[in-house]
Amino acid sequence: MSRRNGHGAKKELDFELNLTSLIDLLSTCTCFLLISAVWIQIGTVEIKQSHGTEAAAAAKDSFDLDLVFKSASDLHLQLKKDGKPVKGIDVKADTNEAMLIKLNEAIANQILNKDNKSKKMTIAVATVTPKSTVNYGQLVSTLDVLRKNQIVNIGVLTAKGQ
Amino acid sequence: MRLNQSIVAANPFEKHLINRRRKKGKGMRSPQFTLMLTSMVDMFSMLVIFLLQTFSNTPEVSMLKGMQLPNSMTPSIVREAPVLAISRDGNLYLDQKLVGKTSDVSKKPDELLNKLNIIKKGWVSSHTSAFTGEINLQADREVESTTVSLVMGVLTASQFQSIQLAVIGK
Repeated sequence: MSRRNGHGAKKELDFELNLTSLIDLLSTCTCFLLISAVWIQIGTVEIKQSHGTEAAAAAKDSFDLDLVFKSASDLHLQLKKDGKPVKGIDVKADTNEAMLIKLNEAIANQILNKDNKSKKMTIAVATVTPKSTVNYGQLVSTLDVLRKNQIVNIGVLTAKGQ
Repeated sequence: MRLNQSIVAANPFEKHLINRRRKKGKGMRSPQFTLMLTSMVDMFSMLVIFLLQTFSNTPEVSMLKGMQLPNSMTPSIVREAPVLAISRDGNLYLDQKLVGKTSDVSKKPDELLNKLNIIKKGWVSSHTSAFTGEINLQADREVESTTVSLVMGVLTASQFQSIQLAVIGK
Protein backbone atom coordinates (compact mmCIF):
# COMPACT_ATOMS: atom_id res chain seq x y z
CA MET A 1 0.00 0.00 0.00
CA SER A 2 1.37 3.34 -0.89
CA ARG A 3 0.15 6.85 -1.07
CA ARG A 4 1.12 9.50 -3.50
CA ASN A 5 2.14 12.88 -2.22
CA GLY A 6 2.07 16.18 -4.06
CA HIS A 7 5.30 15.57 -6.01
CA GLY A 8 4.36 12.12 -7.10
CA ALA A 9 7.02 10.32 -4.98
CA LYS A 10 5.97 7.35 -2.88
CA LYS A 11 6.00 7.82 0.88
CA GLU A 12 7.08 4.82 2.88
CA LEU A 13 4.66 3.71 5.55
CA ASP A 14 7.21 1.52 7.31
CA PHE A 15 8.78 4.20 9.47
CA GLU A 16 11.81 3.95 11.75
CA LEU A 17 11.72 5.14 15.31
CA ASN A 18 14.67 7.15 16.60
CA LEU A 19 15.57 5.13 19.65
CA THR A 20 18.58 7.16 20.80
CA SER A 21 16.52 9.85 22.55
CA LEU A 22 14.20 7.21 24.05
CA ILE A 23 17.13 5.25 25.49
CA ASP A 24 18.69 8.50 26.76
CA LEU A 25 15.49 9.39 28.54
CA LEU A 26 15.08 5.93 30.05
CA SER A 27 18.69 5.80 31.24
CA THR A 28 18.44 9.25 32.84
CA CYS A 29 15.18 8.23 34.51
CA THR A 30 16.72 4.97 35.76
CA CYS A 31 19.82 6.72 37.12
CA PHE A 32 17.75 9.35 38.94
CA LEU A 33 15.39 6.79 40.44
CA LEU A 34 18.23 4.47 41.47
CA ILE A 35 20.04 7.31 43.23
CA SER A 36 16.93 8.60 44.98
CA ALA A 37 15.55 5.14 45.84
CA VAL A 38 14.84 4.41 49.51
CA TRP A 39 15.88 0.86 50.29
CA ILE A 40 15.04 0.84 54.00
CA GLN A 41 11.49 1.97 54.65
CA ILE A 42 11.57 3.81 57.98
CA GLY A 43 8.26 4.52 59.68
CA THR A 44 7.27 5.84 63.09
CA VAL A 45 5.14 4.78 66.03
CA GLU A 46 3.80 7.91 67.66
CA ILE A 47 3.84 8.27 71.40
CA LYS A 48 1.88 11.02 73.09
CA GLN A 49 3.07 11.57 76.60
CA SER A 50 -0.49 12.15 77.72
CA HIS A 51 -0.04 13.98 81.01
CA GLY A 52 -0.97 17.59 80.46
CA THR A 53 -1.87 17.17 76.80
CA GLU A 54 -5.18 17.07 74.97
CA ALA A 55 -5.10 13.29 74.84
CA ALA A 56 -6.02 12.86 78.48
CA ALA A 57 -8.67 15.54 78.46
CA ALA A 58 -10.33 14.30 75.28
CA ALA A 59 -12.99 11.98 76.64
CA LYS A 60 -13.81 11.47 80.30
CA ASP A 61 -16.50 8.86 79.62
CA SER A 62 -14.16 6.48 77.90
CA PHE A 63 -11.80 4.01 79.52
CA ASP A 64 -8.08 4.10 80.15
CA LEU A 65 -5.82 1.09 79.88
CA ASP A 66 -2.64 0.48 81.86
CA LEU A 67 -0.14 -2.13 80.71
CA VAL A 68 2.49 -3.07 83.28
CA PHE A 69 5.40 -5.29 82.26
CA LYS A 70 6.42 -7.88 84.87
CA SER A 71 8.79 -9.54 82.43
CA ALA A 72 9.17 -9.81 78.66
CA SER A 73 6.52 -12.54 78.54
CA ASP A 74 4.33 -11.43 81.44
CA LEU A 75 2.07 -8.40 81.26
CA HIS A 76 -0.68 -7.09 83.49
CA LEU A 77 -3.56 -5.16 81.94
CA GLN A 78 -5.67 -2.82 84.05
CA LEU A 79 -8.79 -1.28 82.61
CA LYS A 80 -9.80 1.96 84.35
CA LYS A 81 -12.70 4.35 84.25
CA ASP A 82 -12.30 7.78 85.87
CA GLY A 83 -9.12 6.51 87.48
CA LYS A 84 -10.87 3.58 89.17
CA PRO A 85 -9.92 -0.01 88.24
CA VAL A 86 -12.67 -1.86 86.37
CA LYS A 87 -11.00 -5.02 85.20
CA GLY A 88 -7.57 -6.63 85.53
CA ILE A 89 -6.17 -9.23 83.14
CA ASP A 90 -2.87 -11.12 83.34
CA VAL A 91 -1.33 -12.02 80.01
CA LYS A 92 1.40 -14.59 80.40
CA ALA A 93 3.15 -16.95 77.98
CA ASP A 94 6.43 -18.79 77.52
CA THR A 95 7.84 -16.41 74.95
CA ASN A 96 7.38 -12.77 74.09
CA GLU A 97 5.87 -13.66 70.68
CA ALA A 98 3.27 -15.93 72.27
CA MET A 99 2.50 -13.24 74.84
CA LEU A 100 1.87 -10.70 72.06
CA ILE A 101 -0.63 -13.06 70.40
CA LYS A 102 -2.41 -13.53 73.74
CA LEU A 103 -2.35 -9.78 74.34
CA ASN A 104 -3.97 -9.15 70.98
CA GLU A 105 -6.73 -11.64 71.80
CA ALA A 106 -7.20 -10.21 75.31
CA ILE A 107 -7.55 -6.65 74.02
CA ALA A 108 -9.88 -7.63 71.18
CA ASN A 109 -12.12 -10.06 73.13
CA GLN A 110 -11.94 -9.16 76.81
CA ILE A 111 -11.46 -5.40 76.68
CA LEU A 112 -12.82 -3.85 73.47
CA ASN A 113 -15.79 -6.26 73.37
CA LYS A 114 -16.13 -6.44 77.16
CA ASP A 115 -19.93 -6.20 77.32
CA ASN A 116 -20.55 -8.11 74.05
CA LYS A 117 -22.28 -5.05 72.64
CA SER A 118 -22.29 -4.27 68.98
CA LYS A 119 -20.49 -1.01 69.68
CA LYS A 120 -16.84 -1.38 70.52
CA MET A 121 -15.44 0.25 73.62
CA THR A 122 -13.04 3.16 73.07
CA ILE A 123 -9.83 3.47 74.98
CA ALA A 124 -8.87 7.11 75.49
CA VAL A 125 -5.32 6.58 76.69
CA ALA A 126 -3.14 3.51 77.06
CA THR A 127 -0.15 3.80 79.38
CA VAL A 128 2.70 1.32 79.19
CA THR A 129 5.05 0.82 82.14
CA PRO A 130 8.33 -0.68 80.94
CA LYS A 131 10.78 -2.85 82.88
CA SER A 132 14.55 -3.20 82.61
CA THR A 133 14.28 -6.86 81.58
CA VAL A 134 12.17 -5.87 78.59
CA ASN A 135 14.08 -4.56 75.62
CA TYR A 136 13.01 -1.72 73.37
CA GLY A 137 12.11 -4.04 70.47
CA GLN A 138 9.66 -5.93 72.70
CA LEU A 139 8.19 -2.63 73.93
CA VAL A 140 7.59 -1.45 70.36
CA SER A 141 5.97 -4.82 69.50
CA THR A 142 3.55 -4.28 72.41
CA LEU A 143 2.76 -0.76 71.19
CA ASP A 144 2.18 -2.29 67.77
CA VAL A 145 -0.50 -4.61 69.20
CA LEU A 146 -2.25 -1.60 70.77
CA ARG A 147 -2.15 0.34 67.51
CA LYS A 148 -3.48 -2.68 65.64
CA ASN A 149 -6.52 -2.53 67.95
CA GLN A 150 -7.14 1.15 67.15
CA ILE A 151 -5.63 2.39 70.42
CA VAL A 152 -3.55 5.32 69.21
CA ASN A 153 -3.17 7.57 72.24
CA ILE A 154 -0.30 5.73 73.85
CA GLY A 155 1.97 7.00 76.58
CA VAL A 156 5.04 5.39 78.11
CA LEU A 157 5.50 5.82 81.84
CA THR A 158 8.97 7.03 82.71
CA ALA A 159 10.98 5.95 85.75
CA LYS A 160 9.92 9.00 87.71
CA GLY A 161 6.29 8.22 87.00
CA GLN A 162 5.81 11.13 84.59
CA MET B 1 8.23 0.00 12.75
CA ARG B 2 11.47 -2.01 12.84
CA LEU B 3 13.02 -2.09 16.27
CA ASN B 4 14.86 -5.36 16.24
CA GLN B 5 16.70 -4.66 13.04
CA SER B 6 18.14 -1.38 14.25
CA ILE B 7 21.88 -1.21 13.91
CA VAL B 8 24.20 0.86 16.05
CA ALA B 9 25.90 2.37 13.00
CA ALA B 10 23.75 5.33 12.12
CA ASN B 11 25.00 5.93 8.62
CA PRO B 12 22.72 4.30 5.96
CA PHE B 13 25.73 3.44 3.85
CA GLU B 14 27.36 1.60 6.74
CA LYS B 15 24.07 -0.21 7.32
CA HIS B 16 24.07 -1.27 3.71
CA LEU B 17 27.65 -2.57 3.99
CA ILE B 18 26.83 -4.53 7.13
CA ASN B 19 23.75 -6.07 5.54
CA ARG B 20 25.74 -7.02 2.45
CA ARG B 21 28.45 -8.61 4.56
CA ARG B 22 25.80 -10.50 6.49
CA LYS B 23 24.27 -11.88 3.31
CA LYS B 24 27.63 -12.86 1.86
CA GLY B 25 29.34 -14.63 4.68
CA LYS B 26 26.82 -16.76 6.51
CA GLY B 27 28.44 -18.24 9.58
CA MET B 28 31.29 -15.79 9.53
CA ARG B 29 31.51 -13.57 12.56
CA SER B 30 31.05 -9.92 11.75
CA PRO B 31 33.39 -7.41 13.40
CA GLN B 32 30.38 -5.07 13.78
CA PHE B 33 27.92 -6.05 16.46
CA THR B 34 24.21 -5.46 16.64
CA LEU B 35 22.39 -4.52 19.78
CA MET B 36 19.03 -6.13 20.61
CA LEU B 37 17.27 -2.88 21.30
CA THR B 38 13.81 -4.34 21.95
CA SER B 39 14.95 -6.30 24.99
CA MET B 40 17.06 -3.39 26.19
CA VAL B 41 14.15 -0.94 25.96
CA ASP B 42 11.92 -3.54 27.65
CA MET B 43 14.39 -3.94 30.50
CA PHE B 44 14.76 -0.16 30.90
CA SER B 45 11.01 0.37 30.93
CA MET B 46 10.46 -2.36 33.52
CA LEU B 47 13.23 -0.94 35.70
CA VAL B 48 11.76 2.56 35.47
CA ILE B 49 8.26 1.30 36.32
CA PHE B 50 9.58 -0.67 39.32
CA LEU B 51 11.61 2.26 40.61
CA LEU B 52 8.70 4.67 40.12
CA GLN B 53 6.45 2.35 42.14
CA THR B 54 8.93 2.13 45.00
CA PHE B 55 9.67 5.86 44.88
CA SER B 56 8.98 7.54 48.19
CA ASN B 57 8.89 11.25 48.93
CA THR B 58 9.05 10.94 52.72
CA PRO B 59 11.67 13.12 54.38
CA GLU B 60 15.12 11.65 54.70
CA VAL B 61 16.01 10.64 58.24
CA SER B 62 19.64 10.01 59.08
CA MET B 63 20.39 6.81 60.96
CA LEU B 64 23.34 5.87 63.14
CA LYS B 65 25.71 3.26 61.75
CA GLY B 66 25.03 -0.21 63.12
CA MET B 67 21.68 0.78 64.62
CA GLN B 68 19.04 -1.96 64.42
CA LEU B 69 15.60 -0.44 64.63
CA PRO B 70 12.63 -2.54 65.82
CA ASN B 71 10.08 -3.80 63.31
CA SER B 72 6.50 -2.60 63.25
CA MET B 73 3.35 -3.74 61.48
CA THR B 74 1.62 -0.37 61.86
CA PRO B 75 4.14 2.32 60.97
CA SER B 76 3.13 5.90 60.21
CA ILE B 77 4.89 8.26 57.83
CA VAL B 78 8.07 9.91 59.12
CA ARG B 79 7.74 13.64 59.75
CA GLU B 80 10.64 16.03 59.72
CA ALA B 81 11.84 16.70 63.26
CA PRO B 82 15.07 16.62 65.29
CA VAL B 83 16.51 13.13 65.70
CA LEU B 84 17.57 11.78 69.09
CA ALA B 85 19.30 8.41 68.87
CA ILE B 86 20.28 5.86 71.50
CA SER B 87 22.90 3.43 70.25
CA ARG B 88 23.40 -0.15 71.44
CA ASP B 89 26.47 0.89 73.45
CA GLY B 90 24.37 3.40 75.41
CA ASN B 91 25.52 6.62 73.75
CA LEU B 92 23.03 9.38 73.11
CA TYR B 93 23.17 11.43 69.92
CA LEU B 94 21.20 14.53 69.03
CA ASP B 95 21.13 15.12 65.26
CA GLN B 96 24.15 12.80 64.84
CA LYS B 97 26.18 14.69 67.47
CA LEU B 98 27.22 12.87 70.62
CA VAL B 99 25.62 14.20 73.79
CA GLY B 100 27.00 11.60 76.20
CA LYS B 101 26.21 8.28 77.84
CA THR B 102 22.48 7.75 78.41
CA SER B 103 23.06 6.81 82.05
CA ASP B 104 24.95 10.08 82.66
CA VAL B 105 22.46 12.19 80.71
CA SER B 106 19.48 10.76 82.61
CA LYS B 107 21.19 11.67 85.93
CA LYS B 108 22.32 15.11 84.73
CA PRO B 109 20.21 16.14 81.75
CA ASP B 110 21.22 19.83 81.71
CA GLU B 111 23.30 19.60 78.53
CA LEU B 112 20.58 17.76 76.63
CA LEU B 113 17.91 20.13 77.96
CA ASN B 114 19.97 23.13 76.78
CA LYS B 115 20.38 21.64 73.31
CA LEU B 116 16.68 20.82 73.12
CA ASN B 117 15.83 24.37 74.22
CA ILE B 118 18.01 25.77 71.42
CA ILE B 119 16.15 23.57 68.91
CA LYS B 120 12.83 24.67 70.39
CA LYS B 121 13.73 28.37 70.21
CA GLY B 122 14.89 27.92 66.62
CA TRP B 123 11.59 26.23 65.76
CA VAL B 124 9.52 28.94 67.42
CA SER B 125 11.43 31.74 65.65
CA SER B 126 10.98 30.12 62.23
CA HIS B 127 7.31 29.16 62.62
CA THR B 128 4.21 31.23 63.27
CA SER B 129 2.17 28.36 64.72
CA ALA B 130 2.44 26.95 68.24
CA PHE B 131 5.26 24.55 69.10
CA THR B 132 4.22 21.00 68.19
CA GLY B 133 6.85 19.25 70.31
CA GLU B 134 7.65 16.64 67.68
CA ILE B 135 10.86 14.66 67.90
CA ASN B 136 12.12 11.47 66.26
CA LEU B 137 13.52 8.97 68.72
CA GLN B 138 15.69 6.19 67.35
CA ALA B 139 16.88 3.41 69.62
CA ASP B 140 18.46 0.05 69.01
CA ARG B 141 16.03 -2.83 69.54
CA GLU B 142 18.34 -4.39 72.18
CA VAL B 143 18.41 -1.29 74.39
CA GLU B 144 16.56 -1.61 77.72
CA SER B 145 13.06 -0.18 77.54
CA THR B 146 13.60 1.68 80.82
CA THR B 147 16.56 3.52 79.27
CA VAL B 148 14.31 4.69 76.45
CA SER B 149 11.61 5.71 78.91
CA LEU B 150 14.16 7.74 80.91
CA VAL B 151 15.09 9.65 77.76
CA MET B 152 11.39 10.12 77.03
CA GLY B 153 11.07 11.66 80.49
CA VAL B 154 13.76 14.21 79.64
CA LEU B 155 12.02 14.97 76.33
CA THR B 156 8.65 15.43 78.03
CA ALA B 157 10.25 17.79 80.55
CA SER B 158 11.54 19.82 77.62
CA GLN B 159 8.04 20.00 76.07
CA PHE B 160 8.82 17.49 73.31
CA GLN B 161 5.66 15.50 73.96
CA SER B 162 4.94 14.08 70.54
CA ILE B 163 7.64 11.44 70.31
CA GLN B 164 7.93 9.47 67.10
CA LEU B 165 9.66 6.16 67.65
CA ALA B 166 11.57 5.19 64.53
CA VAL B 167 10.75 1.69 63.30
CA ILE B 168 11.28 -0.41 60.21
CA GLY B 169 8.03 -1.00 58.38
CA LYS B 170 7.37 -4.64 57.44
